[in-house]
Amino acid sequence: MKAEPRGNSSHISLQNPSHFNTTQSSISGALKECLGSLDGACIEKLLLHFASALESNDVTSAQQVMWVLNNVASSVGDPNQRLASWFLRALISRAARVSPTTISFDGRSALERRPMTVTELAGYVDLIPWHRFGFCASNSVIFKTIQGFPRVHILDFSITHCMQWPTLIDALAKRPEGPPSLRISVPSWRPPVHPLLNVSSEEVCQRLTNFAKFKDVPFEINVIEVPPLSTMDAGTSQLGSSDLYDLFLNQLNPSALEIRDDEALVINCQNWLRYMPDEQMGSTSHDTSCRDAFLEIIKDLSPCIVTVVDEDCDLGTLSLASRITTCFNYLWIPFDSFETFLPKNSPQRIEYEADIGHKIENIIGFEGIQRIERLESGINLSKRMANKGFQSVPFCEDTVKEVKILLDEHASGWGMKKDDDVLVLTWKGHNSIYATAWVPCSYGVEY
Amino acid sequence: MPSYSDNFSAMNDSTASGDSSSGNQTAPPKPTAKKKRNLPGMPDPEAEVIALSPKTLLATNRFVCEICNKGFQRDQNLQLHRRGHNLPWKLRQRSSEEVKKRVYVCPEPGCIHHNPSRALGDLTGIKKHFCRKHGEKKWKCDKCSKNYAVQSDWKAHSKICGSREYKCDCGTLFLRRDSFITHRAFCDALAGESAKKNTALAPPSADEDPKNQTNLPSPPPPAMEAPPSPPPLPVAAPPPLQASSPSAPPSTAVVSSVLPLHNLELPESARHNPATTRILEDTPTVTDSPVNCSSNSLSSNNGSTSSNVFASLFASSTSSGILQSQATRFPDLFETMAHTKQTSDVALCTSSEPISLCLAMNQGSSIFKTAGQECRQYAPAPQPAMSATALLQKAAQVGVAASNASVLRGLGIVSSLSPSSEPQRWGRQEIESEGASLASGLGLGLGLGLACDGGSALTELMLGTPSVFGPKHATLDLLGLGMAASGGPTGGLSAIMKSINDGLDVAAAAAAFGGGEYSGQDMGRSS
Repeated sequence: MKAEPRGNSSHISLQNPSHFNTTQSSISGALKECLGSLDGACIEKLLLHFASALESNDVTSAQQVMWVLNNVASSVGDPNQRLASWFLRALISRAARVSPTTISFDGRSALERRPMTVTELAGYVDLIPWHRFGFCASNSVIFKTIQGFPRVHILDFSITHCMQWPTLIDALAKRPEGPPSLRISVPSWRPPVHPLLNVSSEEVCQRLTNFAKFKDVPFEINVIEVPPLSTMDAGTSQLGSSDLYDLFLNQLNPSALEIRDDEALVINCQNWLRYMPDEQMGSTSHDTSCRDAFLEIIKDLSPCIVTVVDEDCDLGTLSLASRITTCFNYLWIPFDSFETFLPKNSPQRIEYEADIGHKIENIIGFEGIQRIERLESGINLSKRMANKGFQSVPFCEDTVKEVKILLDEHASGWGMKKDDDVLVLTWKGHNSIYATAWVPCSYGVEY
Repeated sequence: MPSYSDNFSAMNDSTASGDSSSGNQTAPPKPTAKKKRNLPGMPDPEAEVIALSPKTLLATNRFVCEICNKGFQRDQNLQLHRRGHNLPWKLRQRSSEEVKKRVYVCPEPGCIHHNPSRALGDLTGIKKHFCRKHGEKKWKCDKCSKNYAVQSDWKAHSKICGSREYKCDCGTLFLRRDSFITHRAFCDALAGESAKKNTALAPPSADEDPKNQTNLPSPPPPAMEAPPSPPPLPVAAPPPLQASSPSAPPSTAVVSSVLPLHNLELPESARHNPATTRILEDTPTVTDSPVNCSSNSLSSNNGSTSSNVFASLFASSTSSGILQSQATRFPDLFETMAHTKQTSDVALCTSSEPISLCLAMNQGSSIFKTAGQECRQYAPAPQPAMSATALLQKAAQVGVAASNASVLRGLGIVSSLSPSSEPQRWGRQEIESEGASLASGLGLGLGLGLACDGGSALTELMLGTPSVFGPKHATLDLLGLGMAASGGPTGGLSAIMKSINDGLDVAAAAAAFGGGEYSGQDMGRSS
């Protein structure tokens, strides 16, 4: 690819630099406020100034702010510092990416880490309730919903490689009336994000099958092929291509999914929807976004329940400055939680933070279709679901109790709140993950 | 500067939290508006930010009854108590209008919760936080080494310490059932099994009773049999007999597909008293055990059989040490297996990387340090150094080039002419070097497509050999101090800065930068 000035090809056309208030007095004024304490707010300002300086080609400022940030940031410091180091890295890599030629940016060495084994992944999802919260709430709802159905089919859209299912299988195995026949389908494609496994999805499926057998639960699991993509191509899948999403959506039809009429269909979206682009796909034939199209498709499959769990933050179509701020103020949550129980130099902690750093790099460093982390808050997602013809299913007391028990087993900063029909995991009072359940509006009518 | 006690005098009543009415000291000088700016991360931008003093936060039972000297944490509770003495009492009603949401900040400067955007939503929370983080840990667990500053934390921990444990066949221990189940599903130990069902081994109905030696009551029966409510696990009484066990299995060894003996490796007896052998794998027939007649026969064979088997288990424990090393806690497992890229110059700022000028900015303390202290800053000291402003001033004075080079090296940006042949993780197209046509100036137009001046402007920016910057001297004086970026220091503040700079161990710093390229180059900014 020719390394010409990128402006033509990717008219990112970012916000007006004046948004950043790059006037001298305001920078100095802003920084004077930081006198005495370099806290999160200050770091945030510095990051914004850095971004602005990069954007307006202000070499002097950029150098200076970068120097300051470099002195503040530390991947082994306190959570603010650690977060700052990943942000700084993301901003610089963004800059480097746009100005490529003589720079060989070996981005992989910075952010790559070796994929996990399945057992490591099992530990990873249980370290903090970030994932387990969603698993617990969803499994509880699913368990209740499928009561009375002898056969169940779960369409699993998630990034955690089936880590959710052992506990459900275990619960089903212990039902007084015995387990139903359970079938799980997973797509062969998943977004190229962490956590990454060092084994194939077939291997994962095999292990889950063994487990179900061990538990005497009639079980079947299949991978829905999305040719020409597969999970193993995650690293090289053409992210920038809207064809990818078209291909994916095309596979979500009753025959490819092998929908069977005698099965209760459950659709599980765990940390998935944010990877469905929410912008118009750019082609005139689409008047909805991929995300909306996805929701329509799953609604038309007539599921008896749809569980949606995702990160409670809005990062969809914001400007870079807003994204820096929002993202900084959101991702401090996992960083802060690691701080409470992992030592500063723990390699495990550094790896987890690097995974989040990878996320930051995408949020900060890319635009358009390459920016795949399009987080949407629970409130906005709820509106979207309602628009698409879903109605929310409230969480019953039992579910809430179970989740509470789960949270009691974790550090005391984790809490939960219920906003109407949305269950939200909180860390020190700040929203982190939301969990919801839905049925298509017409569901009741058909039955 | 705003005094936080002003907040309270402005408030009419102290509500149930009651701490506002007496003895509030001024909060540390942090200029914060009462009306929060709309930070996206802020839970409620309209919330009122309250900063209580350390004394207030640590205080308990500050409201004392004058009659009987009974202490209460809240004023309302005291007032209710006073009624019992037939004393005049005054119970402030909650105002009927909407109660304004309050959030609390930590008074400790440098603490992450000192910032209003990280405020905590409730009083108890901030008190606990302050106590935990900044208070003395005087509550100690007698079973393990953990110490707690807050009594309720200590109590909560003591309840579960050493109580329920779940052990996978691979030897890993879990405190939580759902972690255990998830692990087990994917564990090699299970995968290695044949598909034969595990038909026996569960003790009849003894599964729900904790036979382990802790005196923990069983958790209340869950409303439904869902995973997160952990029943204590069966204890060893009828051991998981291995048909494949090399030590002659007792006659009742029914089947079992279970694991080969060595998988049952228990970790060194440091943890467990073999006699009690309390932890076992979860067996699927736990709740169905009555169904298996074999298990009944097992139970009748409890006594000697079990001890025999376990004796053999432990006898072999030292020999088959393969899994022994893995019979550690999960975090340890991670630690041994994880290796990060820290050894490479990836980390932006590692303790072993003196170049990085890594300064932990925990607390803002004095802005200007003495020269001697400055020298130490170039070591990876976690001591707080200067504020952002001071750092920026220094940046203006001292050449930031070399240190920025280390930043880039840390990120893997190396100036070279060879393109990166690996596609970047996010799938961007390969970069080809074409020599020319780089955006000029910063070239970091982020898509604004600036005209190219030739030369690797970005590299130069980063590596500090500006050749294409053009006349930027007057451009930016970040601090509005009237110092030209490349000019000499002027003015009082600059003089101070200069004296600091002079104190810098420049030579040491230059040497530390390694690579050799930059040693000897001028540290001052030149442009």
